[in-house]
This record gives sequence, C-alpha cells and structure tokens, in this order.
Amino acid sequence: MAAAGGGAAAGRAYSFKVVLLGEGCVGKTSLVLRYCENKFNDKHITTLQASFLTKKLNIGGKRVNLAIWDTAGQERFHALGPIYYRDSNGAILVYDITDEDSFQKVKNWVKELRKMLGNEICLCIVGNKIDLEKERHVSIQEAESYAESVGAKHYHTSAKQNKGIEELFLDLCKRMIETAQVDERAKGNGSSPPGAARRGVQIIDDEPQVQSGGGGCCSSG
Amino acid sequence: MSLKSERRGIHVDQSELLCKKGCGYYGNPAWQGFCSKCWREEYHKARQKQIQEDWELAERLQREEEEAFASSQSGQAAPSLTFSKFEEKKTNEKTRKVTTVKRFFSASSRVGSKKAEIQETKAPSPSINRQTSIETDRVSKEFIEFLKTFHKTGQDIYKQTKLFLEAMHYKRDLSIEEQSECTQDFYQNMAERMQTRGKVPPEKVEKIMDQIEKYIMTRLYKYVFCPETTDDEKKDLTIQKRIRALHWVTPQMLCVPVNEEIPEVSDMVVKAITDIIEMDSKRVPRDKLACVTRCSKHVFSAIKVTKNEPASADDFLPTLIYIVLKGNPPRLQSNIQYVTRFCNPSRLMTGEDGYYFTNLCCAVAFIEKLDAQSLNLSQEDFDRYMSGQTSPRKQESENWSPDACLGVKQMYKNLDLLSQLNERQERIMSEAKKLEKDLIDWTDGIAKEVQDIVEKCPLEIKPPNQSLAAIDSENVENDKLPPPLQPQVYAG
Repeated sequence: MAAAGGGAAAGRAYSFKVVLLGEGCVGKTSLVLRYCENKFNDKHITTLQASFLTKKLNIGGKRVNLAIWDTAGQERFHALGPIYYRDSNGAILVYDITDEDSFQKVKNWVKELRKMLGNEICLCIVGNKIDLEKERHVSIQEAESYAESVGAKHYHTSAKQNKGIEELFLDLCKRMIETAQVDERAKGNGSSPPGAARRGVQIIDDEPQVQSGGGGCCSSG
Repeated sequence: MSLKSERRGIHVDQSELLCKKGCGYYGNPAWQGFCSKCWREEYHKARQKQIQEDWELAERLQREEEEAFASSQSGQAAPSLTFSKFEEKKTNEKTRKVTTVKRFFSASSRVGSKKAEIQETKAPSPSINRQTSIETDRVSKEFIEFLKTFHKTGQDIYKQTKLFLEAMHYKRDLSIEEQSECTQDFYQNMAERMQTRGKVPPEKVEKIMDQIEKYIMTRLYKYVFCPETTDDEKKDLTIQKRIRALHWVTPQMLCVPVNEEIPEVSDMVVKAITDIIEMDSKRVPRDKLACVTRCSKHVFSAIKVTKNEPASADDFLPTLIYIVLKGNPPRLQSNIQYVTRFCNPSRLMTGEDGYYFTNLCCAVAFIEKLDAQSLNLSQEDFDRYMSGQTSPRKQESENWSPDACLGVKQMYKNLDLLSQLNERQERIMSEAKKLEKDLIDWTDGIAKEVQDIVEKCPLEIKPPNQSLAAIDSENVENDKLPPPLQPQVYAG
C-alpha cells in the first residue's frame, strides 16, 4: 500500500518497481526466475509466468517489496519502453557477454532512461552468461568503464550457475532505499508531499511532450 | 382583386382572419388561427406540458425498472449491457431506455406486485441521487455495511465520502483532468487520514480504500466515463476501425507462441477474449483491472500449455496484442483513460494488476502504430492486406485454422490429406505405367538383340550325312594321294 518510490515512515514497507530491459535471448527471464524461484531451465518451475514477479526482502530491518517487471525485448516493441518504465525506481539492463549487439542495445536504453527519468532511477548494467567466458565478445573493461561513465553499476552474472544474482538485487535495493531516503528528506519531514503518490498520473499528462515516437497509449490518439 | 374572390365564392369574414385570442392582430391557419405572438405562447405552454409528462413517464419507468431488478436478482441485469458492443456512448443510453420500456410492457403480470413495492421504498432524494440505478443502491448498502465494522472511523469515512461526492457534483463542468485530480487527491487524503487519525493498519487501509473506490466510482461513472468534453469517444471509434482493418494479421506474423490447434489452448484464447471484452461492462476501475488480469492469466495458461515453460514478457505481449486484435474490445480507449484517471494510483503503479494494465496500454499503442516492419512484411504486402486486395490467409492454407472452428479445421486438414493422397496415387499410377512400358521395352529390346545376333551369324544347318560321307573331305591334298588300293585278285 505504501506509495511507490518509498513512503517509508517507521513500520511501513518500501515498494519498489524495477524494470528488466534488454534484447531477447540475453537471459532476462532466466535471471529473474533464478532470483525469485532459484531455478534454471527447470521443468518443475511452478509459476505460470515470469513476466511479473515479486520478492519481499528485509534489508537492515527495512522491509522492501520488490516488483520486477519484465519487458518485451524484441526490436519491434522498442518504442513501447516508456510505457513500461514510467515510475520505476530501478532498471536492470541485461546484455549477453557473448553478443556485442546486445551491449549496444543496453547503451541505447541507458540514454533513453536518463533522458526520460533523469537521475531518479538506479541503473544496473548486467553482463549475463559468464559461464560462457570463452566466447566473450564484450570486454570487461569497456563495459565497466561505460557503466561508470553513465552513473550505473556493472555486474557479472550467470543465471545458469547462479552467480552474482543475489548480490545484484541486494545492491540495487540498497541503492533504491538510499535514493528514496534522500527524496524524503528533500521533501521535508512531516509535510505531506503533494502528489508524491501520484507521479504516475501526472507523468501521463506530460507524456506527449516528453515522448518522441514512443507509444503513449494513454495520451495520444 | 376583391371582386375576383367574391366571384369564386370564397368569402372570408374579417373576424375570421383575426387571432383567435382576440388580441386584434391577424391570425394564420398555419398557427391554428392564432397570430404569431399568441401561437408562440400557446405552443410553448403545450410543449412544456408535454416535456413534463414525458419526464414523469420516464422517471416512473426508471423506478419501476429498478424495482423489477430488485425483485429479480441484480445479476441478471448485467448481460444486456455486458455483451452488446456499443459503437457510441449515446447508443448505450438509448438501449437502456428501450430495454426499460420493453421490460415494462413484457413484465405486465408483475406490475401489480411491483407497485406495492414502490410504495414501500422511499423515493430517492432528488438531488444527486435522482438517477441512481439499482447497482448504485446495492453498492451504497454494501459500503455502509462494510463501514459499520469500523465504528467511529467508518462514520468518519462515510462523512468524508459523502462530502467528496457532493463536491464532485458541483465540479461536473470542470475538465476531466481536474475531476481526476480531485479524485486522486481524495484517495491520497483518505489513505493518510486513516493512517494518521484512525490508526488503521496498512492492510486494512488497502481494503477500505478498495471499498471507497467502489462506492464513489459507481456513482461517478456516469459522469466521468467517456465524458463529452473529451475526444475519448472519437479515439474509441478510431481504434475500433483500426483493429477491424487489421483483421488479416495472423499469429505467425506477430510470432505468437500459442498453438491454437491444441483444444485446451484455443479454449484459453477464447476465455481471454471474453475477459477483455467484459472489461467494458464494469463500472469500478478496480473491476476493470480485474478483467484485464483474468485475461492475462488465461494468456499465460495458453502459453504455458504450448511452450511448457513460464511465459516471459517476450511471449506475453505479442499474445496479448493478438487477443486484443481478435477481440476488438468495445470502448477500449475510454476504458483505458477512465482507469488511468480514476483508479486508486497505488494499485496502478506497482501491483500485478498494474503490470497487466500497462501491457494492455502497450498492446494498444503497438496496434495504433503498427506498420509493415513490425510484422516483418514488405511494404507492398502490408498495403495490399490493408486495402483488402488480398488476404494472407488465402495464400497459406495453414492459416485457415486460427479462425475456424474445430470441425472446419478438421475438414481442412482432411482435405489437405486427401489432396496429398491423390497426388501420391497419381504418382504411383504414373510409375506403374512407366514400369509396364519399361517391361515391354525390355522384352522388345531383348527380342531385337536376339534378332540382330541371329542375323549377324545365321545358323546354317548342313545335312548331317555330308560330314559322315567324307570324313577326310577337309583334306586338301586329297587329290595328291595315290588312288586307293584296289583289291587285286592274285591267281593262285
């Protein structure tokens, strides 16, 4: 019930929305299934779907409700991005270390996200499939220096071998809590920030101006 | 002139030409003998009376209808609204009135009992509640019952909600964005008020907020759903036409990971379509969201059965787009706008319902902008399909199946099988003929060869005695031999 973006007075839980972005086949779904179900390519996966998953965490006594939104990665759906990532607190941008193109895609996403959401959003750039190190096509150094240059954190993961995934999400949550706390302090304690819980609604109104060619289903005809 | 008219025998008395009211002006038969001024007055009066009567009749019918609803179950009321696709909002109201009248006449046997009921129930207060339907009444009752469990906080909530509704009544002329803003403010204030003043735990706040939303939105629906001040209705028609124009899009073009030939899957697809169409019949934003969620769950089941793994967004979105294209849900844009404007935002932004709703928005945005490239078609093909010159279905017989029913699908399959059999049969026949010919050729060939050989080395059968007669016939030097010894007789 707590408003998105925090709403974290004592006793209340943080609610964070995290979007998963990345080309098809980079392992977005495997990553999140490994995190929420601890399963990989398993025929016994119980969940009906892997596109919206939630996880409850307790970080240093702070309760966090994480909602992970998967997005369609095919090129033809690229323009729909803004509808997905509006109001999100964090974004996980996944690429495949054996696929140079997928890393280029991540760069595009970063540009777009920074343009639309500014610095309010915590970015994670994730090189997945490190179990295929031999076939690596994206250099570690390049990826890490790029991440630093755009104010994102870089992680290496393997959904297959369950490497680096816990750390990724834990780290992201901590950063989102920090951002939310800074946000709260900025707004001043006690006085209720007008419209804090309704960012969604307000952003929808601005959309036509902000968006360029993106699909604004809710505002454009 | 006057002479002429007298001759024809048409005589009009001066008094007859004057206004019937006797105001001294001339009257006119077109105005029933009144002068223009008096006619206007009379006409106006009659019209007012007529309007008054119509209004009373309409109200009586409305009330009787509601009573009839109450006496039967309220559930029955839904279908008439649920399953009809309304092209325009006005049609909605018209239909309602028509059914009202129909019901009034057909249910004449129950009129007596209904009248008794009318007298029992108090007349609705004339201000805000004048046009309350039975559903609103039911929701109000439920709301009050629900609030009773919260004692003092409940009372406060009820008071606040009433105040809000009254305030909204006077804001009806404002733009829809302003009304939405007010509603969102109200949601936020109520949630905060409960937490700070009422000390209500968060889980309960959520429950109460749901009830508040249900109560206020059932009442406001009529005024804020697809309001005339916006172009929502135009957008509805645009998207409806657009979807109709895209009827030829196949699951293959969208890469939909659903195999509709599995009966279980096609069942899920039908259910998903039904759910998304049903969204239009709900009044409360949360109920509309629930329809989208149910639809999405069916989509997931369909994918799971086909692919045997949990659906990712890569699978889900194309399938949802396909469902929307197939279902062409009524008043799609109005519904999306209404939910975005008036849904409790905490639900829309992070919850599961919100995710599915976002995907629906994406699907609609995709359909609006869809072009040749997004379906992996050439521009020429896309244009031809859009203009209806050709249909991709005609080219590939496989694509017949998605739209057809099970029997027809089976028939097409069988036809296909038969044509394949036919082809094979023909092949066998032709090969058999070839074989026959080969055989004949072979016999002929052999015969000819034999003939040739026979011709080349003719068989000469010499008389057998010749060889016997001259054993030494081959002896060339026969002649040189001395003559055979002749037996000589020596005298002795």
